[in-house]
Amino acid sequence: MKRFITFLTLVALLVLAAPVLVLAAKVGQPAPDFTGTASNNQTYHLADYHGKFVVLEWHNNGCPYTQKHYMSGNMQKLQKQWTGQGIVWFTIISSAPGKQGYVDANGENNYMSKMGASPTAALLDPTGAIGHLYDAKTTPQMIVINPQGVIIYDGAIDNRPTDDVKDIPGATNYVNGALGQALSGKPVETAATRPYGCSVKYKGTWF
Amino acid sequence: MRNSIVGLLFFSLFILVLIPLPGARASATTIPHGTVDLVAENQWISPGSQTYFGLNFHLEKGWHIYWVNPGDSGQPPRVAWHLPAGLTSGELEWPAPRRLGTSTIVDFGYDDAVMLLVPVRASPTLSANQAAQLGAELRVLVCREICIPGKAQISLTLPIKSVPPEPDARTSELFAASRKSLPRPAPGSWEFHVSDLKDSFVLTAKLGGKTTRASFFPLEESQIDNSAAQKIVQTPTGFQLTLRKSDQLLHPIERLKGVLELSANQTYLIDVAVGNTQLAR
Repeated sequence: MKRFITFLTLVALLVLAAPVLVLAAKVGQPAPDFTGTASNNQTYHLADYHGKFVVLEWHNNGCPYTQKHYMSGNMQKLQKQWTGQGIVWFTIISSAPGKQGYVDANGENNYMSKMGASPTAALLDPTGAIGHLYDAKTTPQMIVINPQGVIIYDGAIDNRPTDDVKDIPGATNYVNGALGQALSGKPVETAATRPYGCSVKYKGTWF
Repeated sequence: MRNSIVGLLFFSLFILVLIPLPGARASATTIPHGTVDLVAENQWISPGSQTYFGLNFHLEKGWHIYWVNPGDSGQPPRVAWHLPAGLTSGELEWPAPRRLGTSTIVDFGYDDAVMLLVPVRASPTLSANQAAQLGAELRVLVCREICIPGKAQISLTLPIKSVPPEPDARTSELFAASRKSLPRPAPGSWEFHVSDLKDSFVLTAKLGGKTTRASFFPLEESQIDNSAAQKIVQTPTGFQLTLRKSDQLLHPIERLKGVLELSANQTYLIDVAVGNTQLAR
């Protein structure tokens, strides 16, 4: 009996100690699928874009780091350049209602027309479901998915982690790097970096 | 009558508070949700010697600024010094940080108050009997739930004298407190080893005694997962701490460098070679 209890204890310990299985969104791994409602009221399903490059951009219009790339026109330029080459670009807003950066469909449409933003669509993710699926930590955070559906870049927009517009000229843009290299059949040189910026304002977080 | 005397007393006190102290401490400059001032440890600067200065931050309740490695979001304060010829600033010295956040996003920084230290070296050829104005252009990100970037110009004027520097009693407590919060070099008798496992690094520490608490703050970004729990296992001579690898870490690393915190006032700077051997049992 005592041995049996010891055995049971061991089993229990092993079960408890088993690593929690997380479907990690990670460079080199398949991009987790999602369905999102955009500010244009259409529904977008990531799997429908198999065969194309997809860029994910986490966004919060009140964040100084997001503003750095929008007030300067840098993000809009990237959106125009890459969607012009048939690449799909989703701006994703994971701010919870009441938190900085939260917008409804109208608010986002007005913002995009005012700023001249032209992503394929802006996905409204107030529950944070897509954000958590990709473990998005900051705005802006950028993810590039290749036509096979594999994440080939995850991290910062560029190598200057500041909120200063003056740091944009001369910065190494990692999204351009990843897309440029992948399009010419080369491996992506810098595939993962620390994303910089404001924390994503998820529901339930206090900072 | 009595009321007016009390009023006058308070008024005089108020005026006294408003008069900036000469030397050691300039008046505080406003930053978003806080203040910063530049303070000196010594009463004057001497040619050929080193003097410590402090960037002394005070923040409103709930607001924070960042450590040199900010963690998952945020940005550390940046300083551009404007020093007279003959004075050279060294690297900022950062007190051990606090973990900020409890969710999947964890940052490293300071709330309430913190003082960053900076050594300033005076050239032996610096001429005495003049005043030196030290200036700094500070950029700082202050966050609570949201983040506000701030800028501040701070300065301090100190005399230059040819006699050895003497500490300033007005700032000695402040410097003592700041030094206490700086991570110290680990004692020479302590042994550390880092094993590189598939998903984690295991930091083994032999400190010569049982240790119940330990947490590690990485100095380099993208090495460990900031939000992952750091599992500690006690050993007869120390502990083993499991540090989950960062998803951003795609290549092996040679060293793990950071601050090891054993208790609030026991923080140590460690820099350990990462062994590719299997974990010793």
